[in-house]
Amino acid sequence: MLSYGFMQNAFFVSLFISVLCPCIGVFLVLRRYSMIGDTLSHASLAGITIGLMYEQNPVLGAFIFTAICGALIEFLRKYFKKYTDLILSIVLALSVGTAITIISSGRLHTSADSFMFGSILTVTKTDMVMVMILSVISVLTLIFLYHQMVYIAYDEEAARVAGVKVGLINYVFFVLVASAISVSIRIVGVLVLSSMIALPVATALQLEKGFMKTLIFSIVFSMIDIMSGLFISYYLNVAPGGFTALVSVFVLVMVMVGKKVYSSAKAVSKA
Amino acid sequence: MIKAENLTFSYNGSPPFVLNGIDLEIKDGEYVSVVGDNGCGKSTFLKLILKFLKPTHGSIVTGAAKIGYVPQKSDSTGSGFPITVYEMLNSYRKLLKIKDKRVVSESLRQVGLSDFSRSLMGNLSGGQAQKALIARALMGNPDLLILDEPSAGVDIDSQREIYAFLKKLNTEQGITIVSVEHNLAAAISNSTTIYHLHGGQGHFCTPQKYSEENLGEEDHHA
Repeated sequence: MLSYGFMQNAFFVSLFISVLCPCIGVFLVLRRYSMIGDTLSHASLAGITIGLMYEQNPVLGAFIFTAICGALIEFLRKYFKKYTDLILSIVLALSVGTAITIISSGRLHTSADSFMFGSILTVTKTDMVMVMILSVISVLTLIFLYHQMVYIAYDEEAARVAGVKVGLINYVFFVLVASAISVSIRIVGVLVLSSMIALPVATALQLEKGFMKTLIFSIVFSMIDIMSGLFISYYLNVAPGGFTALVSVFVLVMVMVGKKVYSSAKAVSKA
Repeated sequence: MIKAENLTFSYNGSPPFVLNGIDLEIKDGEYVSVVGDNGCGKSTFLKLILKFLKPTHGSIVTGAAKIGYVPQKSDSTGSGFPITVYEMLNSYRKLLKIKDKRVVSESLRQVGLSDFSRSLMGNLSGGQAQKALIARALMGNPDLLILDEPSAGVDIDSQREIYAFLKKLNTEQGITIVSVEHNLAAAISNSTTIYHLHGGQGHFCTPQKYSEENLGEEDHHA
């Protein structure tokens, strides 16, 4: 299977996604921002259609437009302090409106369908290079800002007292979210992207470990979800995005059941 | 240490003001408990000292080189956030740019939590979590320590330990303490001065005087 060039591209891209998505996801989930992933994945669809319309790299188009929308969310938070969910509706309207208008205008020289559901066949060498660059820069930024980001998620006020530039780092964070989303969109597709950001983290949280271990387990679960989704979808000849989402729900349920069984067995042995 | 002149604040920038023309000076080495009814602006006052909020009119200036802040415990530890006591302190050490890793174990030892460094913050008792947050605030060797209701959700024995520890920090190390208090008995027996906020205005009084004027009434309510 890996002898096919397109499959090799898909494999490498999946590897990068499975590291980058949970790294971003853990901060999104813990800051109660899971739905931002959903909104920004729709923003990335708009970015893709803009990229395709101007015959530019769609991943780059997705990254730029999603980063702008991420910054817009952070900016609007000042104006809608009590209605932060409303901000997501506004950005969603802007994104979906842009995407539908461009797609329905007939100006695209190619189909945007593969970005909706995810596809293995359409990952090009240029996409792969773009994905590698964005992933490496994002992970390095995360390592550099790790302690600041942990604190902004855990206790923003304490971070401010310690001199962390919370506003600036929030903008950087949304650029990272944009990067993770645009990197992932080829394989997993717009519709299930937010679940790939949130579910491996949700699974790791079940283990009740510290922050670093939760992050590492999120990456492990993400690799299990995305790799098995990729390979099984190849044999079943279905879109990888949908099947990856199913695997991630299955793994989450398995971990929850395993945890329950383990704690019951522990209670019995104590008694 | 802290000086406010005509300090006035409301969240929308117009009257009615939560704090209305407050003038005060807190000197180095004082232990001030800020008391008052719910909604009188105690936490707003702390946020103005910490510069989380900007005064609508007037000014508040802090002369402290380093500030340690202990937030209300439930704000940061009740969420089931996956972080160990060690991670919570070590990341903060990094934010404060302290190179010596031993600062973490030393601050844990100070508050008697050396055996809990691997525990999750969410699994600690109320008293232990509060001590961990105090340990964090002390890591940067602050000259001003600001606390928001340090005894909220803390059992009586731990409350006693925490207040004894705070008093020791104040008297032995000379750390200036400003603490928002709903625990009036603790405010009276530990602080050097009480600052009573009421109707947007505030006044200082000695713990003894405050006790004579108010505690009988509070006991009656209790």
